[in-house]
Amino acid sequence: MAYISNCSVYLPVWKLSRDEISEETGMPSLGGERAVAHWDEDSITMAVEAARTLEGKFDAVIFASTSPPFRIKQCASLVASALDLPESTFTMDITDSMRAATDALITANEFVDSGRFDRVLVVAADRIPTKPGTLYEQLYGDAAAAIAVEKEGGAKILGYNTSTKPLPGSWMLAGDDTVRDYDMRVDARYGYATSVQQAAMPLFAKLGLSPADIDRIVASAPDPKSYYGLLKAVGARPEEFYFNSVGIAGCAHPLFLLATQIEKTGRILLGGYGEGADVLAIEIEDAMESNVGRMLESRKEISYGEYLYNRGFVGIRDAPDRPSLTKFWRDEKSIIRFYGMRCKNCGTVSYPIQRCCVECGAKDNYEEVRLGDRGRVYTFTIDYLVMPGNYTGDGVHPHGVAVVDLDGGGRVLFEVTDTVRDFEGLECDAEVERTFRLLFEKNNFRYYGWKARLPR
Amino acid sequence: MREVAVIGCGVTKFGHHWEKDHEDLLVEATYEAISDANVELKDVEAVWCGTFYPSTGISGNVFSDTVKFFGKPISRVENYCATGMDNIRNAAFAVASGAYDLVIAAGVEKLMDAGSRGLPPIEGIFSVGMPYVSAPAMFAMAANRAFKEWGWTREDLALVAVKNHYNGARHPKAHFRSEVTVEKVLKAPIVASPLGVYDCSAVSDGAAAVVLTRPEIARQIVGDDYAVIKAVGMAVETMHPWHRPSESFLSFPATVKAAKMAYKMAGIENPRKELDFGIVHDCFTITELINYQDMQLCKPGEGAELIRKGVTAIDGDFPINPDGGLKSFGHPIAASGVRMVAELTKQVLGKAEGLQVKDAEAGFAHNLGGPYSVATVAIVSRP
Repeated sequence: MAYISNCSVYLPVWKLSRDEISEETGMPSLGGERAVAHWDEDSITMAVEAARTLEGKFDAVIFASTSPPFRIKQCASLVASALDLPESTFTMDITDSMRAATDALITANEFVDSGRFDRVLVVAADRIPTKPGTLYEQLYGDAAAAIAVEKEGGAKILGYNTSTKPLPGSWMLAGDDTVRDYDMRVDARYGYATSVQQAAMPLFAKLGLSPADIDRIVASAPDPKSYYGLLKAVGARPEEFYFNSVGIAGCAHPLFLLATQIEKTGRILLGGYGEGADVLAIEIEDAMESNVGRMLESRKEISYGEYLYNRGFVGIRDAPDRPSLTKFWRDEKSIIRFYGMRCKNCGTVSYPIQRCCVECGAKDNYEEVRLGDRGRVYTFTIDYLVMPGNYTGDGVHPHGVAVVDLDGGGRVLFEVTDTVRDFEGLECDAEVERTFRLLFEKNNFRYYGWKARLPR
Repeated sequence: MREVAVIGCGVTKFGHHWEKDHEDLLVEATYEAISDANVELKDVEAVWCGTFYPSTGISGNVFSDTVKFFGKPISRVENYCATGMDNIRNAAFAVASGAYDLVIAAGVEKLMDAGSRGLPPIEGIFSVGMPYVSAPAMFAMAANRAFKEWGWTREDLALVAVKNHYNGARHPKAHFRSEVTVEKVLKAPIVASPLGVYDCSAVSDGAAAVVLTRPEIARQIVGDDYAVIKAVGMAVETMHPWHRPSESFLSFPATVKAAKMAYKMAGIENPRKELDFGIVHDCFTITELINYQDMQLCKPGEGAELIRKGVTAIDGDFPINPDGGLKSFGHPIAASGVRMVAELTKQVLGKAEGLQVKDAEAGFAHNLGGPYSVATVAIVSRP
C-alpha cells in the first residue's frame, strides 16, 4: 500500500453568502457561504494553485474534475507544465464523474503500490457551472485539493473498495451550459448511504476491522443532509463537512475533506460518491500541516451583483488581438513554466527567454532560470480601456497591471487579479505573488499564464 | 547634417472627421503644402508618407493612389507615434544627400473609422503571455512612479492640460478649441489611474505635409520665406520597458538619446538658452513633464516645477506646445510629427497668428512612440 505524504487545498478568494443569493433569486437560503472562483479561474488553474504548494517532484500527475475546460485535449499535461514537471511525467485525466478524485487516489495508490511510480500527484478541482436561482447555485462551491502519494508519509492507505449503482443523479449533456438533475431525492434515498455502506462493509472485512475501529468518517455527498444522515445511520459522529464555508466542491470535495483531517492522527474512512461509491481506509500516523485554515481565512466577500458581473467576464473578456496559438505553444517555457534568463555576460535576470540580453545585448549567452513566486510592485496602473473596453459597447472593466520585480531577479508585467473593482493595496512597493490563471479566451481557445495578486 | 529647407506646409484641421476619408485629408494637406511652397506636384521627385494603422493605409500606395502621383519613389513609414517625424528624417536626409532636390514628407491617420475608444488595439504586437496595456496605461505607470519618487500630484498633471488647452483654444486647426480648468481635469473619469480623460491627448483624424528642398534651391523658389531643419535625432529603445530591469519609468531613454543626438547635430550645448521654444509629444500630461527633463530643460524631478511656475506657458521663459500640443491640437498619429515641424516653421517665420512665441528664432519638436520606445527630435530655425 502507499502513503499520503502531503495535502493542500485551494479556495478562490471569493465567498458568497447564500442568504444574499436567496435575497436576489428568491430561492430559499441553505445558509452559510459558498466558495466562488474569480472569472479567470477554472479547474485547471485551481488545480495548479492547490498543487504548487506541495514541494518536491512528481513522476505522475492525475487530474480529476467534472468541469475540465477542455475535452479531447488533456488537462493534466498543462498542470504538469505549470508545475514545471519534466516531460517524462506520466499524466492522465479522470473526468466527468463525481468519483473522479477518489478514483484518482485509488489509481495513485495502485501506481505507487506496484512500484510503477515513486511519487504521484493527485489533484482534483471543480468549478461546476450553475444557473442563477437553482439549488445547485447554493449547493456547489469552487475549490481544489492536491494529494501527494508515495512510498512513505504520514498517512497510510490501508485499503479501498468500491460499489456501483446507476441512478439518474446529476449530469450535463455535451451542449449544456449548466448542471441539471431529475430528482435529487432519488439519490438521497436510494443511492448515497447504500452505496457507501456497500463499498465499506467488504473493506472492513478485508482489513479485519469493525466500524468501531474507525475514528472518523468523511465522505462527499450529493448534499450535506445526506452525509449527516449516513453518519446517523451508522451511529458515528459527523465531521465538519465544510458546506457552510465552501459548498460541495464537486469531485474535489472528498480530497478537500481528507486535507481537513490530516492535522489529527487516527484511522479515517474516506468516501467519494457518484453512481456508486469509493471508500478508502486511511491511517494517519503522523499529523501533517494543512493550509485549509489559511485558505478559509484569506478570503473576501463578494456581492451577488459583483459575482454575476465577474462571471460574465469569461464570455466577453477577449484579448483585443488574435494571439498565435503556435507562438503560445513555442513560448511555453516562459509563459507556462515561467522561465526567464540569466545573462552570463552581465548577470541580468530578465523575462521572457530571448536570444539577446535586454540589458547588454549579449547573444545566446544565458542560462534559463525559473523566476520567483513573489515580488514587489515597481509601478502599476488600473486600466479602464482594454480587455475589453476598447470598443464602445464593451462596458467598463477596469483591470490592474503591475510591473513587478521578482524575488531572485527578473521584472515582469502582470495583470493583477482577484479583484473586481476595489484595487486597494495595489501601489508602488506593495508585495504581490504570482498565481496561475486563464489569461483570456480567443480563437475558441483558452490561453493560460501567470498573473499577480496581493498575497493571501 | 546639411541643413534642409522647409518651403511649404499643409495641415488639415484635426478632429473627428466623420464625413471625410483619409483621401480627403491627405489631398487637402498635400495641396496646401505645395501651394504654400509655390511648386507643382509634378516637380516633386519623391515622397515619404506615414500611416501608423494599416486601416488607414499601407505601402507607397497610400500616397500614390490618393493624389494619383504615379511612377515615382514613395515610402510608407511606420514607427509608432514617431511615424510623422521619422518621415521627415528620411525625407530630409534624402534631400541633404543630394539624391533628390524636392520631396514631400506627409502623414495621415484616420482613427475615427475604427470605432474604438482610445486607440484601436493592434494585432499581435505584444507577447502572448503578458497583459495587453492601453496607451494611457503605459504612461500611467510612469506617472505612478513619478508620484512615488518625486511627490508629483494629479494637480501638477492637470496644469499641463490647462496650459495646452489654453493654447489650442486659440488655434483654428486644433481639435479641441476650449479651455479647461484644473477642477474639470481632476473631475473627469479615470482612463488609466492616475490619468483621467483630460490627461489624454485627443484621438483625431488629420493629415499634414511639408515640402523639403535644399536652402540654395529654396531661395530661388520662395526667397527668404523658409525655415531650415538643422538636425533630426532619433533613438529606438525596447517596446517592453516593463521587462527591462534598469527601466526607471521616470525618464524615457529614447527621448534622452534622440535629444542628445539632435542637439549635437545642431551644435547646441544648452537648449534652454540657445533655443526659444519647443513642441513636445504630450500624448499624456505626465509625458510632457518627463519630456521637459529628458529634453534637458531642467533636472530630473523638476519637471513639475516648470509647469507650476508657468515657465512653459506661451508667455513664459520657454514656451512648450504653443500650438496646444497633442493634448488639444489632436493626435492623428502619423500626421503629428509632420504637423510639429510645420508648426515650428510657422513659429520661426513669425506666422503663428495669435499664438506667436515672442522672438521665436529656433525651436525643437519631439515625437515619442509606442511604450516610449521610439523618439525623434528635430531642430528648426530661421535660415
